[in-house]
Amino acid sequence: MANVIDDATIDYVGILAKLELTGEEREQAKKDMADMLDYIDKLGELDTTGVEPMSHVFPVQNVFREDVVTNGDAREEMLANAPEEKDGMFMAPQTFEG
Amino acid sequence: MAKQYETVIGLEVHVELATKTKIFCGCSTAFGGAPNTHTCPVCTGMPGSLPVLNKQVVEYAVGVGLATNCTITRYCKFDRKNYFYPDNPQNYQISQLYLPICRDGYVEIELPESGDGESATGATGRTKKIGIHEIHMEEDAGKLIHDDWEGCSLVDYNRSGVPLIEIVSEPDMRSAEEVIAYLEKLRMLIQYLGASDCKLQEGSMRADVNLSVREVGAKEFGTRTEMKNLNSFRAIAHAIEGERARQIDLIESGEAVIQETRRWDDTKETSYAMRSKEDAQDYRYFPDPDLTPLCIDDAWLESIRAKQPEFREEKRIRYRETFDIPDYDIEIITDSKHMADIFEATVALGAQPKKVSNWLMVETLRILKERGLDPEDIAFSPEHFAALIDLTEQKVINSTVAKEVFEVLFDEDIDPVAYVEEKGLRTVNDEGALRKTVEQVLAENPQSVEDYHNGKEKAIGFLVGQTMKAMRGKADPAAVNKLLKELL
Amino acid sequence: MVSMDILDYTAVELSEKIKRGEIKVAEAVEAVFGQISDTEEDLHCYVTLEKDKALARAAQVQEKIDAGTLTGPLAGVPFAIKDNLCTKGTLTTCSSKILENFVPTFSAEAVLRLEEAGAVVIGKTNMDEFAMGSTTETSYFGVTKNPRNTAHVPGGSSGGSAAAVAARECFAALGSDTGGSIRQPASYCGVVGMKPTYGTVSRYGLIAYGSSLDQIGPLAKDVRDCAVILETIASHDIKDSTSMNRTDTDFSSALTEDVKGLRIGIPRDYLGQGLDPEVRDAVLAAAEVFRKKGAIVEEFDLSLVEYAIPTYYTIAAAEASSNLERFDGIKYGYRAPEVDDLHLLYKRTRSQGFGPEVKRRIMLGSFVLSSGYYDAYYLKALRVKALIKKAFDEAFAKYDVILGPVAPTTAPKLGESLSDPLKMYLGDIYTISVNLAGLPGISIPCGEDADGLPIGLQLIGDCFQEKTLIRAAYTYEQRGK
Repeated sequence: MANVIDDATIDYVGILAKLELTGEEREQAKKDMADMLDYIDKLGELDTTGVEPMSHVFPVQNVFREDVVTNGDAREEMLANAPEEKDGMFMAPQTFEG
Repeated sequence: MAKQYETVIGLEVHVELATKTKIFCGCSTAFGGAPNTHTCPVCTGMPGSLPVLNKQVVEYAVGVGLATNCTITRYCKFDRKNYFYPDNPQNYQISQLYLPICRDGYVEIELPESGDGESATGATGRTKKIGIHEIHMEEDAGKLIHDDWEGCSLVDYNRSGVPLIEIVSEPDMRSAEEVIAYLEKLRMLIQYLGASDCKLQEGSMRADVNLSVREVGAKEFGTRTEMKNLNSFRAIAHAIEGERARQIDLIESGEAVIQETRRWDDTKETSYAMRSKEDAQDYRYFPDPDLTPLCIDDAWLESIRAKQPEFREEKRIRYRETFDIPDYDIEIITDSKHMADIFEATVALGAQPKKVSNWLMVETLRILKERGLDPEDIAFSPEHFAALIDLTEQKVINSTVAKEVFEVLFDEDIDPVAYVEEKGLRTVNDEGALRKTVEQVLAENPQSVEDYHNGKEKAIGFLVGQTMKAMRGKADPAAVNKLLKELL
Repeated sequence: MVSMDILDYTAVELSEKIKRGEIKVAEAVEAVFGQISDTEEDLHCYVTLEKDKALARAAQVQEKIDAGTLTGPLAGVPFAIKDNLCTKGTLTTCSSKILENFVPTFSAEAVLRLEEAGAVVIGKTNMDEFAMGSTTETSYFGVTKNPRNTAHVPGGSSGGSAAAVAARECFAALGSDTGGSIRQPASYCGVVGMKPTYGTVSRYGLIAYGSSLDQIGPLAKDVRDCAVILETIASHDIKDSTSMNRTDTDFSSALTEDVKGLRIGIPRDYLGQGLDPEVRDAVLAAAEVFRKKGAIVEEFDLSLVEYAIPTYYTIAAAEASSNLERFDGIKYGYRAPEVDDLHLLYKRTRSQGFGPEVKRRIMLGSFVLSSGYYDAYYLKALRVKALIKKAFDEAFAKYDVILGPVAPTTAPKLGESLSDPLKMYLGDIYTISVNLAGLPGISIPCGEDADGLPIGLQLIGDCFQEKTLIRAAYTYEQRGK
């Protein structure tokens, strides 16, 4: 068990992922993540020197749209699922700046 | 002895590109729509939606890169920048980190002469190269509107997905003056390209200032801060002065400058740190799997290069060679691509360059200045402008009338020929009518007549004025003068 | 009973009958809903059923068939759609609380293609939450049970779609496959499931899990249905930048019995440790069928098999952590009540809205992308992915088809898998590398274990070689006939 996920790390991941974990969940999460990282560390066995990271499996390039307006006013549709709305806008808690 | 400090400034300039549609969807980028009326599943981050790149964004970005002497990255990609904020509908922004489209460029800025040892070139002052680290493409965020009544923020995604380029400079600037010269230079290049209107007040050009101070002669940079929300050259200048003073104060009192993002409050003329424990500043960039890489081959690059406009430097040279107008006029006219376009189009319609230049330099600049407008706001057509100049040159109207017509032309782009006819503004060349009016004016103003005969030459001016007034401005002042002298 | 007869037809057979006027579209829909009323309470294949809409739609489709404007092979066929595919006006939840009330304003391109062909969508099938899981037990709406034995899981994540086809609660279904999510439940439920080459079916409207790995595909009663459905939903869609422009998607033309000279390789690593002997025997027996029909079958060493799972979980978790950021309680879906602070709203909404498996993967994904770990984990995984792709390229230089099991075992019992996530992940070992390499794969039934649970045979093809797969799978399927 090489990896140990400490409280600071799990809190940090919670900030990044916007997740709030209760005591029990938190301990489980620390263990699960450590286990997974141990498992993923297996990749370290492979020498990947000089291997380009592969994001896309196929070398597809240059997929574009032309600069032509195709969409009209769909505000009602966009707002149809909003938990809260006002004046045609989505409502969020107060942000601390503009 | 007090220590001497040097300010080190780098800029991150965001420019909204002048495309018709957003960067990844077919929504309009037009300003002024009601909230969320220019939105679709893509730019509101609906589940299942996917981005498709607007080709014009790439062409504009490459155009700006070429104009700023950058190396174009032939194989580039988009990355996701992950952070949660309500104006960012997917909670990641599609941007470029690892392979930005342009790198390693520079622009030359011109500065007034000053005695700090920079080499002087040219008549206008010294020049300095400001390095450009990179230019990348990204999507703009939506707009947050505070609702104090409800104590919440409202989100409008009309601007979400509007294409931006971010131009990141090297930390090569040392003063607010250099920063503003750099911004003006960028603005001019980009306006010449037609890639953006670059209006700071409207947010189509935005600058974040990275600033640190160090003792003069020090080799290492100090700790820098990033200043956001600077909406005018004035705000930029004030923020630079304020931040420089703040950092020097900290250093002098033995405290450390903290690397942080600060927000400029323009009304209070001060800045504050934007700190939050929920803000980890760890954006977890990775290549966006929904977008394919971009490959800019020689043919495409050359086609973009071929479409580059004539920039100011070349234009100035051509104007000097082609048009007999003063250098000062050339400077002013070429300062704005839009004004230069109007100048050239009007000349092309047959107007004399000198006359066109005069109208632009005097009447046009006067109105712009009076109303606080930019040359970009000129809305009259070269056709109507040329027609007005022609009416004046042909003495169909006199110069006073011409100025009045020009005001209307500036506001409404009227056809001056039709307007002059409709309003009956032609200069009256009817000798009989003029003679009759002059005789009447002389009869009504015996005192002035007497003054004239007593040697008061100036009295004739009053009589010309009275005649013009009686003719409702439509007489040729020279003809009035001549006739008055004759009858007196 | 007439309705029973109807339910026995494959999708293509049903459509034939409908076009010949022997069966009305509404009858087919009613038959399916009759079956649903009998078995759905036990099985729970669906999150949402839309009987009224389906009947209204059936009437429209019937009209077009009668008018002769709808003539395709799927006209009038009742379909089930996995609940991560957007359906305009119909609840689309990804089996998650966070989307419990989400009604899309547009339909997925694949769904539109099916509807254009005259399919009738009857409902949305249960799945592992956001397609994260191999058992359909991570659904917020409760588990789906295996129609062949309700003590067992149907597999996942497209467990609802596989179970619905197996239980005849629909004639065919769409699923999505990120690491085996079509093939494995097809195997567990004894139906045919196919994942096409990456980019063959538009992902527009598929709620993303791992964008570089996700593909939509069919789950159906036989290979013909699979080929016809895939042919229908395949498209070059300008709304999906990763969609491929293919001209060879007339997959039904490959429905021929001919494997003579076909070179089939069986990776030795696919037959080794961890493979249930009954599954192994069934797979080897299937290989023998191919050999007898003239194929050249041999074992070979496909390298890097054991690295596929850690590679996959790194990439999929990283992409998922980003893809699922948009679920924040502001634009749609669940929103935690009575929270005034922005970041607290994000945290509460997401903590209450996502289940444990989704949280686990989001956290892992956020970690492997975070500052200081990106190179060591994420880029490393992308490099290994390149090596895995290369290993397949080398294999396909020698073989036309790779043959193996779909999963190491038959369907596990309900509740057995979730206690040990890592062990559950290991069950994906034979399917996952196919997604990493973007390859097509098909799962077809090849027997049963002693408990009567189905065993699936997996055939893997080179990129864009679906026709070879379909030809091989069809030939195998015809073995007894």
